[in-house]
Amino acid sequence: MAENIVEFRHITKRFPGIVANDDVSLSVKEGEIFAVLGENGAGKSTLVSMLFGMYEPDEGEIYVRGRLEHINSPRYAGSIGIGMVHQHFRLVSNYTVAENIVLGLEPVSKIFGIFPYVNIKKANHDIAELSERYGLKVNPTDVIENLNVATQQRVEILKMLYREAEILIFDEPTAVLTPQEIESFLKIVKGLRDGGKTIILITHKLREIKAVADRCAIMNRGKLIDVLDVETSSTDDMARMMVGRDVSFKTERKPAKFGDVILDVENLTVRNRAGFEAVKSVSFQIHAGEVFAVAGVSGNGQNELADSIAGLVMPSGGTVKLNGHDITRSSVREHLTAGVAYIPEDRHNVGLVLDFTLRDNFPLRQYYTGKFSSNGIISKSEFESYGEKLAEAYDIRSGQGGSTITREMSGGNQQKAIIARELDMKTPLIIFMQPTRGLDAGAVMNIHRHITAERDRGAAVLLISLDLDEIMDCADTIAVIYNGSISKISPASEISTDEIGLYMMGVKTA
Amino acid sequence: MLEMIIVDGLSFSLPLFIMAIGGIYSEKSGITNLALEGFQGFGAFTGAFVTVYLYGIFGAESSVPYYAGFLFAVIGGGIFALLHALLCVKFNANQVISGVVMNILAVALTSFLTKRINASMFGSNANKFMLGASSRLTIPIIGEVYPFEVMIVIVSIVMWYVMYRTVYGMRLRACGDNPHSADAAGINVYAVRTVAVLISGCLSGMAGMSFAYSVSANFSPDIYLGYGYLSIAALIFGNWSILPSLFACLMFGFARSAGSAVIHQLGLPSSYNDLVRILPYVLTLLLLVFFGKNNRSPRALGQVYNKGQR
Repeated sequence: MAENIVEFRHITKRFPGIVANDDVSLSVKEGEIFAVLGENGAGKSTLVSMLFGMYEPDEGEIYVRGRLEHINSPRYAGSIGIGMVHQHFRLVSNYTVAENIVLGLEPVSKIFGIFPYVNIKKANHDIAELSERYGLKVNPTDVIENLNVATQQRVEILKMLYREAEILIFDEPTAVLTPQEIESFLKIVKGLRDGGKTIILITHKLREIKAVADRCAIMNRGKLIDVLDVETSSTDDMARMMVGRDVSFKTERKPAKFGDVILDVENLTVRNRAGFEAVKSVSFQIHAGEVFAVAGVSGNGQNELADSIAGLVMPSGGTVKLNGHDITRSSVREHLTAGVAYIPEDRHNVGLVLDFTLRDNFPLRQYYTGKFSSNGIISKSEFESYGEKLAEAYDIRSGQGGSTITREMSGGNQQKAIIARELDMKTPLIIFMQPTRGLDAGAVMNIHRHITAERDRGAAVLLISLDLDEIMDCADTIAVIYNGSISKISPASEISTDEIGLYMMGVKTA
Repeated sequence: MLEMIIVDGLSFSLPLFIMAIGGIYSEKSGITNLALEGFQGFGAFTGAFVTVYLYGIFGAESSVPYYAGFLFAVIGGGIFALLHALLCVKFNANQVISGVVMNILAVALTSFLTKRINASMFGSNANKFMLGASSRLTIPIIGEVYPFEVMIVIVSIVMWYVMYRTVYGMRLRACGDNPHSADAAGINVYAVRTVAVLISGCLSGMAGMSFAYSVSANFSPDIYLGYGYLSIAALIFGNWSILPSLFACLMFGFARSAGSAVIHQLGLPSSYNDLVRILPYVLTLLLLVFFGKNNRSPRALGQVYNKGQR
C-alpha cells in the first residue's frame, strides 16, 4: 500500500459571493495518477491551486509527505517538490527551450574564475540529457515562439523535472492538443508515473481519465462528491456525478436538409498583420441548413478566415459571396446588412463592450436603426424592453438584470449574451468561432442546441473550433485547415476523428 | 576636418549611447521609460552642484571635482529614477504618464533648486552652475577625447556583459517578455524591475553630466534639449539591443557634427547651427518610417504586472 503523499483536510476556500471549496478532504497516494474531475466552476482548479501556493485555504490544512505545510507561494511549493503546468503556458517566447527551463536556476560558471556568467552550453547539454532520460523530445536551442503547443507543453514538463519536482500537477493539459498529441501526452504521463512521480490531473474529459488515471475525485459546486477507482467505474457514472444529473452528451439532431448555396468562398487569401499569407486560396460553399465545421490546430489561419468573412479584415485575394452578392470588400456594417452574424473567439475584446451594461450590449449591431434611435437620439425604453426580451429568451442570468455591467458576468452568460445578440438578427449566415471555449458542460450543450436550431431554421452555419468533440457533435460537413489551406472537406458521417487528426497535423494532405 | 567630425561626433554619441543602454535596461525589464530626459537632467544637476561645491574646496585645477561630479550624477540620476520605479512597479501607475511627469518634475525642480542654491550658497543670481571646459586626453588614431568618453566605453562594456551574460540580465529580459513565467520560475519580478529602472537612472545621470561638460560647459535648464528622447529613438531603432543602438547613436552623433562642420566650412552664420541640430531628429524620423517596422518591443512592455492576476 502506497503512502499518502498529499492530504487535503477539511479545506474551505471562499471568494466574494461564492464558496469555491466546501470542506473538501481527500488524499493522493505516492506514485499514482490522480484525476480531479468537474465542470467549470466546480472548484477543482481552486483546490489544486492551493497545493501550488497560488491561494491559501481559509480553513483546513494541507499535508505533504505527512507534514503540515503552509504553502504561500509557488516558489515554496517548488521547494517541497511540487510542480504545475498551467493551462496557459508560462514560457518566455523569445528564449530558447534550454533558457526557459533553467530560468531561475541557471548554471553559472566564471570567466578567469572571477566574472560569473550563465553557462548556456552546459544548460543545453543538461537539457538534452534530461530530455533523453524522460523521453520528452525537445531541441534545447529552439526558440519557444517557433514551437507548436505540444512541444511547448513538453518544455513545461521538463521545467518541473529540472527542478526535481515529485508531485506534478496538470491543469486541463489536453485542451489544446490534437488527438494524436493527446495520445502521446497520455503516454508521457504514464511514463512519469512509472518513473515514480505522482501526477495530479485536472480535467473534464472522461475518456482521458479512463485511459490513464488510477483514481479520480469528482467535484460539483465546490463539494467533493466521491473518489472512485477508475478501473471499476463507468464513464456514465462519473458523468452523472460530475453534472449532478443524467446527461446525454449527444445533442439530438434531425438529419440535415440542405438548401441553396448561401456562402460561396472562392480562392480566399488573407494576410495577417505581419504580412504573411495566413489563409491561402481557400474555397468552399455552405448551404442553407448546413453546419460547416472547420477543424484545425490553433494558429493555422482560423482567426483570419473568420475575421475576413465577417468583414473585420480585408482579404488580399479571392471572393466571398453571400446569396450570390459579392461582399468581399464590404465594410463591417455592409456585411451586417447583407446578413452575416459573428460570434467571435475573443468575447472580451471583440464580442462585448465589457464596461457597458448588458442591455447596452444587446443593440450594438442595430442601435442605429429606426427601431432603437431616431435622428441620432437613442431610445432608452426600447433598449430596456429589448434587453429584457433577450435575457428572457436566452436565459441569461446576471446579478442586476439589464443594468449588470457585462464584465462582472460569468463567462458562460457573457457568451450567451453575444449569442443572443447575434442570433436574434436571424441572418442567413452565422459564424461561430470557438463558441464554447472555457465553458462548462451545461453551457456547451446549450450552445450546441442553438447551433442545431439555427441550422434547422435554414441558416448556413460556419463553425470554427479547436475542439474536435464539438465538431463531431455539431457538423454536417467537416473541413480541416492546415497551414492556411483547407486540406480536406468531407461529409461528417464519412470521416473519423483519427483521420481528421492526421489532416490537422499535416501528416495527410489532400 | 574629418578628425573634427569624428571627435565631436563621438563626444555627442557616447553619452547618448550610455543613456540608451539605461533605457534598454528599463524597457527590457518591461517598464516603459520616457523619463530618460528627466533622469539625465537631474543627474547633471546633482553632479554639477557637487562639482561646483568641490571647486571651492579643491580648487579648479584638481581632478577630484570632475570625477566626484560624475559619481554624484550617477547617484542623483539613480535616486530620481527610484521615484519612477516606485510609481510604476510598486503603485502600478501608468508608465507613460509617470515618465512624462518625471520629465516635467525634473525641469521644474532643478531650475528652482539651481537658483535657490546659487542665491544661498554662492551668492549669485544665475540659473546655472558654471563647470568650465573639461580637460581632454589624447588617444592615438582618434585624437582628443574627454575623459568621460573613456568611462562610458568601459561602463558600456560592463553593462553589455551584465545584460547578455549574467543571471541578472537573463532574468531581466525574461521579465520584459513574460513576467508570469519569470515569477513561476521563482524570480522576484518587482525587484528585478526596480533595479533595472535604477540602472537606467544611473546611466542617464552619467550621460547628463557628460552633456553638461561637452555641449555647454555648465549646468542650466538648457540641458533639457531632448537628448533623452533622442536616445529613446536610438534604442527603438536599435531594436532594444545594445550593439545596434550603438550604431544608431553614432549615426546621430556624426550627422550632427558633420552638419556643423559643413556650416562652418561654408562660412554660414552661426544661426544655421540651430538648423543642423535638428538633423539627428529628422534622421530618426526617416529611419523609423523606413526601417522601424520590423522592430519588436519587449512583449510585456508597459503592462502593469499584478502577481495575483492570471
